[in-house]
Amino acid sequence: MGAFRFMEILAWFRAIISFLIIIVIWQSIALLGLVPEKYFPSILAIAAGFRDMVISGELVSAELRTLSRALLGVASASLLGISLAVLGDLFPSFRRGFAPIAALIQPVPPAALVPMAVFMLGLGPKLYAFIVILVTVWPPYFNGVAALASVSDVQIRTGQMLGLSRWQILRQIKLPAAMPEIFAGIRYASSISLIAVVVAEMLAGHDGLGFLLIRKAFAIRIPEVYALMFVCAVNGLIMNTAVNGLRWRFAGWQLRMAGQAA
Amino acid sequence: MDVVLEARQLAKAYGVGRDALQVLGGISFSVGKGEFVSIVGPSGCGKTTLLFALAGLQKASTGTVTFNGRPVTAPPRGVAVVFQDYSRSLFPWKSNRDNVAFGMVRVEGLSSVQKRDKAQEMLEAVGLQGFEDKYPWQLSGGMQQRVAIARGLASQSELLLLDEPLAAVDAQTRADMQDLLLDLAMRFKQTCILVTHDVEEAVYMADRVVVLTRRPTVVDHEIAINLGKQRDQITTREDHRFLAARHDVMMSIRSSRTAAPATAA
Amino acid sequence: MSILPDRQRYSALVLPVVLLLVWQVLAWRASTPLFPGPGQVAISIWRLYPQIVGQIGYTLMRAAAGFLVAAVVMIPLGILLGRLKTVGSVLEPILDMMATLPPPAVVPIVMLFAGTGDAAKIAVIAYAAGIPLIMNTYEASKTLHPMATLVARSLRLRRLETMVFIDLPASLPMIATGVRLAVASALLVSVTAEMLLATNGIGVFLQRQQENFQIANGLAAIAFISMIGLIVNDLVQRLERRLLFWHYRLDLHNER
Ligand SMILES: Nc1ncnc2c1ncn2[C@@H]1O[C@H](COP(=O)(O)OP(=O)(O)O)[C@@H](O)[C@H]1O
Ligand SMILES: [Mg+2]
Repeated sequence: MGAFRFMEILAWFRAIISFLIIIVIWQSIALLGLVPEKYFPSILAIAAGFRDMVISGELVSAELRTLSRALLGVASASLLGISLAVLGDLFPSFRRGFAPIAALIQPVPPAALVPMAVFMLGLGPKLYAFIVILVTVWPPYFNGVAALASVSDVQIRTGQMLGLSRWQILRQIKLPAAMPEIFAGIRYASSISLIAVVVAEMLAGHDGLGFLLIRKAFAIRIPEVYALMFVCAVNGLIMNTAVNGLRWRFAGWQLRMAGQAA
Repeated sequence: MDVVLEARQLAKAYGVGRDALQVLGGISFSVGKGEFVSIVGPSGCGKTTLLFALAGLQKASTGTVTFNGRPVTAPPRGVAVVFQDYSRSLFPWKSNRDNVAFGMVRVEGLSSVQKRDKAQEMLEAVGLQGFEDKYPWQLSGGMQQRVAIARGLASQSELLLLDEPLAAVDAQTRADMQDLLLDLAMRFKQTCILVTHDVEEAVYMADRVVVLTRRPTVVDHEIAINLGKQRDQITTREDHRFLAARHDVMMSIRSSRTAAPATAA
Repeated sequence: MSILPDRQRYSALVLPVVLLLVWQVLAWRASTPLFPGPGQVAISIWRLYPQIVGQIGYTLMRAAAGFLVAAVVMIPLGILLGRLKTVGSVLEPILDMMATLPPPAVVPIVMLFAGTGDAAKIAVIAYAAGIPLIMNTYEASKTLHPMATLVARSLRLRRLETMVFIDLPASLPMIATGVRLAVASALLVSVTAEMLLATNGIGVFLQRQQENFQIANGLAAIAFISMIGLIVNDLVQRLERRLLFWHYRLDLHNER
């Protein structure tokens, strides 16, 4: 656990430093008046905008919606992606049949899906579930398939010699061995999940941080727009931290091994 | 004989304070034009550190290196290095010919066609004709080392520094490469410094052997090897002068080992 | 696909064909224009392809312009930052911070600054594509094996020459990863930006179809987007294999 603690502290430390640097640069630009104050409000104005939105309650509800959509979306997409990868590993014909479907759906940007999806699914949770899952299953799925296929023969033979069944080999040897790579996929999925949710909210125009961003921008409430962008970035950090925590739980052996080698 | 390279009281420590590791403890020697000098010392005694200081790749803590009378502060024109980690020193995106030609990037007065021809010539000289258009990663370790040597020779440097070039190849290849290197050094009248931990190799290759102690490393002593330029894997190694020199070097390495205080390795 | 034996090639088609059939049957049973089947989508594609291709053209052009701007600026910058260790380590957390911000979230602010024209859209796309490019290039350049630097110095290369002849090619494998992410990002932001700043492009086309309840037409446009995405990905992959043959074969060869 020590290595994780240390890395976590280091990461937070760096985040705080970078935050301070941004604040200093920002504030000096705002104070020097290099850019019109209207477009480049001071940190205080942004903080005030933030406070107003908190007091009115709109920020908290939007934030809760956005974050829960992104988290739930990436969680279910990851489970689905891993299950599909396992299925593909057990039945190669499924993998081959699935390949063209994946190849066709994967490149479609979430924004393009929104109009039709709103039409068919409405503005409720179904919409976000559909969009997030459709754009985020692929990294865990592809990484999972590749990692399951490349588990070392020696490890599998060892399992066979111990008399493990096919299922046990999958459960106890192949999946743990594939976990680090699957988590690399989930990590990427978590960042696109947030993007997909914000985009969908912007375009669906109903609720959430994305919607709030657009509304404030059209109302030319610039400090609020910046405050919302900041909240979006913090959400990215939250997602990263959540994924890293899980990764430590399920693929910690690899981190410890890498830490030792370094 | 003209002195090409001279090291004076080279010392080098890595780190500072209590964690400092004194690697070189004041090394002095010189190399004359056309000479083949071996520097021999146990693994970890600082041979690579010394060679990097000679090449101007890394500064020594104290002491000086002069090349043709001028102090070395950065890699000087006229010195080429063949690195110990040869596979990493070649560029995987360049064909073998381009890798060798790249050794001449900073050589002025040659057109790119001339550099290409020169690279071809050098690859043939190291016995790699037919592999010019292949890539380093398509070759075995010994062949990659030949490409690295060809690159070192191609720049027609006055001084070639070789850092344990044969440490990672198998015994038969090593013997072949030793003869190849000797042959090339003679053919191009190349001044060479060969750094190695292999006593037999040091004696077999060199006109003169510089024997290093353990850390903090200094020159224990030097031996001239009076076996002529022509060497032979079988007869030279049976020659009593060869055996005497080998005995001498081994004895001094052994005594420096027992004399040295027991430090954590 | 062509290297698969025939039987396997057919089995690869089973699942897609079954799905298409199920979809068609469901569409027949629903029998409403709001739930078109693959047949109607195919008809829409046939009727509308000139219009769709034209609109996708706008979208792609802006995506390509933004991507190019990003590549020209960010790849050299990433290599430079990797070389200038102190500047790099100061800027790195800021980059990390920017990377956590979903790129479409900058669309509103750029709209306020630069209006809704092509320049504004290209700027947002360049920003979105630039983040993965600079992150990957910087990481690659920072973690180059020290041997590369030693060789460069012993060959007496100048700084700029080292960056062009050694750092850049050695970083290419990771830059390629960045390029793949950047292409996806550019496409996404191109579509998002045109939907928000409605002018032309495939995103706007999609919105129109939604407003007019033309689901089949919308699905036809999505099918086109997916084909284009497939082609772009394939091109990127081919280019990568071609330029990075030494990287991929290196891995095969050195697997000890
Ligand atoms: N950059 C460095 N930082 C700290 N210690 C180093 C560094 N390079 C080498 N050393 C240490 O210095 C000693 C000599 O290293 P080296 O010159 O590579 O020896 P050799 O080439 O004789 O095997 C070793 O103990 C090594 O661990
Ligand atoms: Mg060494």
